Amino acid sequence: MAVIEQVLFPNTFGMELIYSFVIIVCSLLVYFSTKKMYDLSKYQGIKYFRMSFLFFAIAYFFKSFISFLFLILEVHEILEFSTLFLGVLTLFFFMYASTMAIFYLLYSVVWKDLKEKRFTIPLIHILVLVISALSIAIREVKILLGLQIFIFLFIAIYNHFHIKKLKGSKKPGHLHMIYLILFVFWMLNLADLLISGFNPILEILISMVSIGLFLVILYKVVKNVGSS
Amino acid sequence: MRKRDKLKIMRDILKVIKENHMHIKMTPLLRKSNLSSKRFADYRAELLQKELIEEREERKTGKQIFLTSKGMEFLEKYKAIINFVNEFEL
Repeated sequence: MAVIEQVLFPNTFGMELIYSFVIIVCSLLVYFSTKKMYDLSKYQGIKYFRMSFLFFAIAYFFKSFISFLFLILEVHEILEFSTLFLGVLTLFFFMYASTMAIFYLLYSVVWKDLKEKRFTIPLIHILVLVISALSIAIREVKILLGLQIFIFLFIAIYNHFHIKKLKGSKKPGHLHMIYLILFVFWMLNLADLLISGFNPILEILISMVSIGLFLVILYKVVKNVGSS
Repeated sequence: MRKRDKLKIMRDILKVIKENHMHIKMTPLLRKSNLSSKRFADYRAELLQKELIEEREERKTGKQIFLTSKGMEFLEKYKAIINFVNEFEL
Protein backbone atom coordinates (compact mmCIF):
# COMPACT_ATOMS: atom_id res chain seq x y z
CA MET A 1 0.00 0.00 0.00
CA ALA A 2 2.88 2.32 0.82
CA VAL A 3 4.27 1.73 -2.68
CA ILE A 4 0.91 2.59 -4.30
CA GLU A 5 0.68 5.74 -2.21
CA GLN A 6 4.18 6.70 -3.29
CA VAL A 7 3.23 6.24 -6.93
CA LEU A 8 -0.09 8.07 -6.81
CA PHE A 9 0.44 11.00 -4.48
CA PRO A 10 2.08 14.30 -5.34
CA ASN A 11 5.71 15.01 -4.58
CA THR A 12 6.53 11.31 -4.74
CA PHE A 13 7.80 8.77 -7.18
CA GLY A 14 4.65 9.11 -9.32
CA MET A 15 5.30 12.76 -9.89
CA GLU A 16 9.01 12.13 -10.46
CA LEU A 17 8.03 9.63 -13.14
CA ILE A 18 5.72 12.05 -14.96
CA TYR A 19 8.22 14.86 -14.70
CA SER A 20 11.10 12.72 -15.99
CA PHE A 21 8.94 11.28 -18.75
CA VAL A 22 8.06 14.76 -20.06
CA ILE A 23 11.68 15.85 -20.06
CA ILE A 24 12.91 12.61 -21.63
CA VAL A 25 10.33 12.97 -24.41
CA CYS A 26 11.25 16.65 -24.97
CA SER A 27 14.96 15.81 -25.07
CA LEU A 28 14.52 12.91 -27.48
CA LEU A 29 12.27 15.02 -29.71
CA VAL A 30 15.02 17.67 -29.87
CA TYR A 31 17.59 14.97 -30.67
CA PHE A 32 15.62 13.24 -33.41
CA SER A 33 14.05 16.29 -35.01
CA THR A 34 17.51 17.80 -35.63
CA LYS A 35 18.89 14.61 -37.18
CA LYS A 36 18.13 15.59 -40.77
CA MET A 37 19.68 19.01 -40.31
CA TYR A 38 22.85 17.45 -38.99
CA ASP A 39 22.94 14.72 -41.66
CA LEU A 40 22.84 17.35 -44.37
CA SER A 41 25.27 19.89 -42.93
CA LYS A 42 27.48 17.80 -40.60
CA TYR A 43 27.80 21.08 -38.71
CA GLN A 44 29.66 20.46 -35.43
CA GLY A 45 27.58 22.92 -33.41
CA ILE A 46 24.42 21.01 -34.28
CA LYS A 47 26.12 17.74 -33.35
CA TYR A 48 27.10 19.00 -29.88
CA PHE A 49 23.63 20.47 -29.35
CA ARG A 50 22.00 17.12 -30.21
CA MET A 51 24.42 15.17 -28.00
CA SER A 52 23.53 17.42 -25.08
CA PHE A 53 19.86 16.53 -25.30
CA LEU A 54 20.58 12.85 -25.83
CA PHE A 55 22.58 12.89 -22.60
CA PHE A 56 19.83 14.87 -20.84
CA ALA A 57 17.37 12.11 -21.81
CA ILE A 58 19.74 9.45 -20.46
CA ALA A 59 20.40 11.44 -17.27
CA TYR A 60 16.72 11.96 -16.51
CA PHE A 61 16.06 8.29 -17.22
CA PHE A 62 18.64 7.28 -14.63
CA LYS A 63 17.37 9.95 -12.24
CA SER A 64 13.87 8.45 -12.31
CA PHE A 65 15.30 4.93 -12.14
CA ILE A 66 17.25 5.92 -9.03
CA SER A 67 14.03 7.26 -7.48
CA PHE A 68 12.33 3.97 -8.36
CA LEU A 69 15.11 1.98 -6.72
CA PHE A 70 14.88 4.23 -3.62
CA LEU A 71 11.23 3.22 -3.41
CA ILE A 72 11.66 -0.51 -4.11
CA LEU A 73 14.74 -1.00 -1.94
CA GLU A 74 13.34 1.27 0.79
CA VAL A 75 16.45 3.40 0.81
CA HIS A 76 16.24 6.98 2.10
CA GLU A 77 19.65 8.42 1.48
CA ILE A 78 22.14 8.51 -1.36
CA LEU A 79 25.06 7.30 0.79
CA GLU A 80 23.09 4.22 1.78
CA PHE A 81 22.13 3.72 -1.87
CA SER A 82 25.74 3.91 -3.02
CA THR A 83 26.65 0.89 -0.91
CA LEU A 84 24.50 -1.34 -3.15
CA PHE A 85 25.85 -2.64 -6.47
CA LEU A 86 22.79 -1.50 -8.42
CA GLY A 87 23.05 1.84 -6.65
CA VAL A 88 26.67 2.27 -7.65
CA LEU A 89 25.94 1.38 -11.28
CA THR A 90 22.95 3.66 -11.73
CA LEU A 91 24.59 6.55 -9.87
CA PHE A 92 27.67 6.21 -12.04
CA PHE A 93 25.68 6.39 -15.29
CA PHE A 94 23.54 9.22 -13.94
CA MET A 95 26.57 11.29 -12.98
CA TYR A 96 28.33 10.64 -16.28
CA ALA A 97 25.26 11.41 -18.41
CA SER A 98 24.30 14.54 -16.47
CA THR A 99 27.79 16.04 -16.64
CA MET A 100 28.15 15.26 -20.34
CA ALA A 101 24.74 16.83 -21.03
CA ILE A 102 25.86 20.11 -19.50
CA PHE A 103 29.28 19.91 -21.10
CA TYR A 104 27.85 19.39 -24.59
CA LEU A 105 25.33 22.22 -24.17
CA LEU A 106 28.13 24.56 -23.18
CA TYR A 107 30.42 23.24 -25.90
CA SER A 108 27.79 23.73 -28.61
CA VAL A 109 28.02 27.48 -27.97
CA VAL A 110 31.76 27.93 -27.31
CA TRP A 111 33.34 25.42 -29.73
CA LYS A 112 33.82 28.03 -32.43
CA ASP A 113 35.97 30.15 -30.11
CA LEU A 114 38.18 27.24 -29.07
CA LYS A 115 40.91 25.48 -31.00
CA GLU A 116 39.46 22.01 -30.99
CA LYS A 117 41.94 19.17 -31.06
CA ARG A 118 41.09 15.70 -32.29
CA PHE A 119 41.14 14.14 -28.83
CA THR A 120 39.36 16.94 -26.94
CA ILE A 121 35.97 15.26 -26.76
CA PRO A 122 37.24 11.71 -26.00
CA LEU A 123 39.45 13.17 -23.25
CA ILE A 124 36.49 15.00 -21.74
CA HIS A 125 34.50 11.74 -21.75
CA ILE A 126 37.34 9.94 -19.98
CA LEU A 127 37.76 12.77 -17.46
CA VAL A 128 34.06 12.77 -16.60
CA LEU A 129 34.00 8.97 -16.33
CA VAL A 130 36.96 9.09 -13.94
CA ILE A 131 35.46 11.88 -11.81
CA SER A 132 32.10 10.07 -11.66
CA ALA A 133 33.78 6.81 -10.61
CA LEU A 134 35.95 8.65 -8.10
CA SER A 135 33.09 10.51 -6.47
CA ILE A 136 31.22 7.24 -5.99
CA ALA A 137 34.32 5.34 -4.83
CA ILE A 138 35.16 7.86 -2.13
CA ARG A 139 31.45 8.37 -1.34
CA GLU A 140 31.71 12.07 -1.94
CA VAL A 141 29.00 13.02 -4.42
CA LYS A 142 29.72 16.70 -3.78
CA ILE A 143 32.69 16.33 -6.14
CA LEU A 144 30.21 15.96 -8.96
CA LEU A 145 28.22 18.93 -7.73
CA GLY A 146 31.50 20.87 -7.63
CA LEU A 147 32.33 19.90 -11.21
CA GLN A 148 28.94 20.97 -12.46
CA ILE A 149 29.13 24.24 -10.49
CA PHE A 150 32.47 24.85 -12.20
CA ILE A 151 30.88 24.30 -15.62
CA PHE A 152 28.00 26.59 -14.63
CA LEU A 153 30.37 29.37 -13.55
CA PHE A 154 32.30 29.00 -16.79
CA ILE A 155 29.06 29.46 -18.73
CA ALA A 156 28.02 32.46 -16.63
CA ILE A 157 31.38 34.19 -17.15
CA TYR A 158 31.50 33.34 -20.86
CA ASN A 159 27.92 34.56 -21.20
CA HIS A 160 28.81 37.85 -19.53
CA PHE A 161 31.74 38.52 -21.86
CA HIS A 162 29.84 37.30 -24.92
CA ILE A 163 26.99 39.74 -24.26
CA LYS A 164 29.48 42.54 -23.60
CA LYS A 165 31.12 41.80 -26.94
CA LEU A 166 27.76 41.80 -28.72
CA LYS A 167 26.63 45.18 -27.33
CA GLY A 168 26.64 47.65 -30.15
CA SER A 169 26.94 45.05 -32.90
CA LYS A 170 23.79 43.02 -32.52
CA LYS A 171 21.18 42.36 -29.89
CA PRO A 172 22.06 39.32 -27.79
CA GLY A 173 19.38 36.61 -27.85
CA HIS A 174 17.54 35.16 -24.90
CA LEU A 175 19.24 31.84 -25.38
CA HIS A 176 22.09 32.42 -22.97
CA MET A 177 19.64 33.38 -20.27
CA ILE A 178 17.56 30.24 -20.94
CA TYR A 179 20.69 28.09 -20.75
CA LEU A 180 21.82 29.76 -17.52
CA ILE A 181 18.43 29.21 -15.90
CA LEU A 182 18.43 25.62 -17.18
CA PHE A 183 21.78 25.01 -15.52
CA VAL A 184 20.64 26.54 -12.26
CA PHE A 185 17.60 24.30 -12.19
CA TRP A 186 19.63 21.30 -13.25
CA MET A 187 21.93 21.96 -10.26
CA LEU A 188 18.86 22.11 -8.04
CA ASN A 189 17.64 18.82 -9.55
CA LEU A 190 20.98 17.27 -8.77
CA ALA A 191 21.02 18.65 -5.25
CA ASP A 192 17.48 17.30 -4.75
CA LEU A 193 18.65 13.81 -5.65
CA LEU A 194 22.03 13.82 -3.97
CA ILE A 195 21.23 15.71 -0.78
CA SER A 196 18.39 14.55 1.44
CA GLY A 197 15.83 16.81 3.13
CA PHE A 198 14.69 19.05 0.29
CA ASN A 199 11.57 21.13 0.83
CA PRO A 200 8.64 19.41 -1.03
CA ILE A 201 7.34 22.73 -2.38
CA LEU A 202 10.80 23.56 -3.72
CA GLU A 203 10.91 20.13 -5.39
CA ILE A 204 7.63 20.85 -7.19
CA LEU A 205 8.88 24.28 -8.25
CA ILE A 206 12.12 22.79 -9.61
CA SER A 207 10.14 20.21 -11.58
CA MET A 208 7.72 22.75 -13.07
CA VAL A 209 10.38 25.26 -14.08
CA SER A 210 12.60 22.52 -15.55
CA ILE A 211 9.71 21.21 -17.65
CA GLY A 212 8.96 24.77 -18.78
CA LEU A 213 12.55 25.35 -19.88
CA PHE A 214 12.72 22.12 -21.85
CA LEU A 215 9.41 22.92 -23.51
CA VAL A 216 10.70 26.38 -24.49
CA ILE A 217 13.80 24.84 -26.08
CA LEU A 218 11.71 22.17 -27.82
CA TYR A 219 9.38 24.85 -29.16
CA LYS A 220 12.33 26.83 -30.57
CA VAL A 221 13.75 23.68 -32.20
CA VAL A 222 10.44 22.61 -33.73
CA LYS A 223 9.77 26.15 -34.95
CA ASN A 224 13.05 26.16 -36.88
CA VAL A 225 12.96 22.56 -38.06
CA GLY A 226 9.32 22.86 -39.06
CA SER A 227 10.04 25.87 -41.24
CA SER A 228 12.35 23.77 -43.47
CA MET B 1 34.55 42.08 -47.30
CA ARG B 2 33.04 40.00 -44.53
CA LYS B 3 34.45 36.51 -44.23
CA ARG B 4 31.99 33.86 -45.44
CA ASP B 5 31.31 31.11 -42.94
CA LYS B 6 31.65 27.46 -43.76
CA LEU B 7 28.01 26.65 -44.39
CA LYS B 8 27.62 29.67 -46.65
CA ILE B 9 30.65 28.68 -48.70
CA MET B 10 29.25 25.17 -49.09
CA ARG B 11 25.95 26.67 -50.17
CA ASP B 12 27.63 29.00 -52.66
CA ILE B 13 29.55 26.15 -54.28
CA LEU B 14 26.46 23.96 -54.55
CA LYS B 15 24.45 26.87 -55.90
CA VAL B 16 26.98 27.42 -58.68
CA ILE B 17 26.64 23.76 -59.70
CA LYS B 18 22.86 23.95 -59.58
CA GLU B 19 22.78 27.09 -61.72
CA ASN B 20 25.01 25.36 -64.24
CA HIS B 21 22.39 22.69 -64.98
CA MET B 22 23.45 20.51 -62.03
CA HIS B 23 26.96 19.79 -63.27
CA ILE B 24 30.14 21.71 -63.96
CA LYS B 25 33.83 21.22 -64.65
CA MET B 26 36.41 21.80 -61.94
CA THR B 27 38.10 24.92 -63.33
CA PRO B 28 34.95 27.03 -63.86
CA LEU B 29 33.71 25.96 -60.41
CA LEU B 30 36.98 27.04 -58.80
CA ARG B 31 36.75 30.38 -60.56
CA LYS B 32 33.14 31.00 -59.58
CA SER B 33 33.61 29.87 -55.97
CA ASN B 34 35.90 32.85 -55.10
CA LEU B 35 38.22 30.62 -53.15
CA SER B 36 41.94 29.95 -53.28
CA SER B 37 42.97 26.60 -54.84
CA LYS B 38 43.88 25.18 -51.46
CA ARG B 39 40.61 26.15 -49.80
CA PHE B 40 38.63 25.00 -52.81
CA ALA B 41 40.38 21.62 -52.66
CA ASP B 42 39.46 21.33 -48.96
CA TYR B 43 35.83 22.19 -49.62
CA ARG B 44 35.66 19.87 -52.61
CA ALA B 45 36.95 17.01 -50.47
CA GLU B 46 34.47 17.83 -47.73
CA LEU B 47 31.51 18.07 -50.12
CA LEU B 48 32.49 14.74 -51.66
CA GLN B 49 32.85 13.16 -48.24
CA LYS B 50 29.39 14.47 -47.23
CA GLU B 51 27.97 13.16 -50.51
CA LEU B 52 26.62 16.56 -51.48
CA ILE B 53 28.47 16.34 -54.78
CA GLU B 54 29.92 13.54 -56.87
CA GLU B 55 32.52 13.41 -59.58
CA ARG B 56 31.98 11.50 -62.78
CA GLU B 57 34.06 11.01 -65.87
CA GLU B 58 31.91 11.72 -68.90
CA ARG B 59 33.08 10.42 -72.26
CA LYS B 60 32.32 13.57 -74.21
CA THR B 61 32.93 16.27 -71.62
CA GLY B 62 35.53 14.71 -69.33
CA LYS B 63 35.53 14.91 -65.53
CA GLN B 64 32.56 16.82 -64.16
CA ILE B 65 31.21 17.62 -60.71
CA PHE B 66 27.54 16.77 -60.23
CA LEU B 67 25.11 17.95 -57.59
CA THR B 68 23.63 14.96 -55.76
CA SER B 69 20.06 14.71 -54.47
CA LYS B 70 21.46 15.23 -50.97
CA GLY B 71 23.21 18.37 -52.22
CA MET B 72 19.94 19.58 -53.66
CA GLU B 73 18.26 18.94 -50.32
CA PHE B 74 20.99 20.89 -48.56
CA LEU B 75 20.26 23.88 -50.78
CA GLU B 76 16.54 23.62 -50.07
CA LYS B 77 17.04 23.36 -46.32
CA TYR B 78 19.95 25.81 -46.10
CA LYS B 79 17.89 28.70 -44.81
CA ALA B 80 16.33 26.55 -42.07
CA ILE B 81 19.77 25.23 -41.07
CA ILE B 82 21.19 28.75 -40.84
CA ASN B 83 18.18 30.00 -38.88
CA PHE B 84 18.58 27.10 -36.45
CA VAL B 85 22.33 27.68 -36.04
CA ASN B 86 21.75 31.41 -35.44
CA GLU B 87 18.79 30.85 -33.10
CA PHE B 88 20.84 28.57 -30.85
CA GLU B 89 24.15 30.40 -31.47
CA LEU B 90 25.83 27.14 -32.42
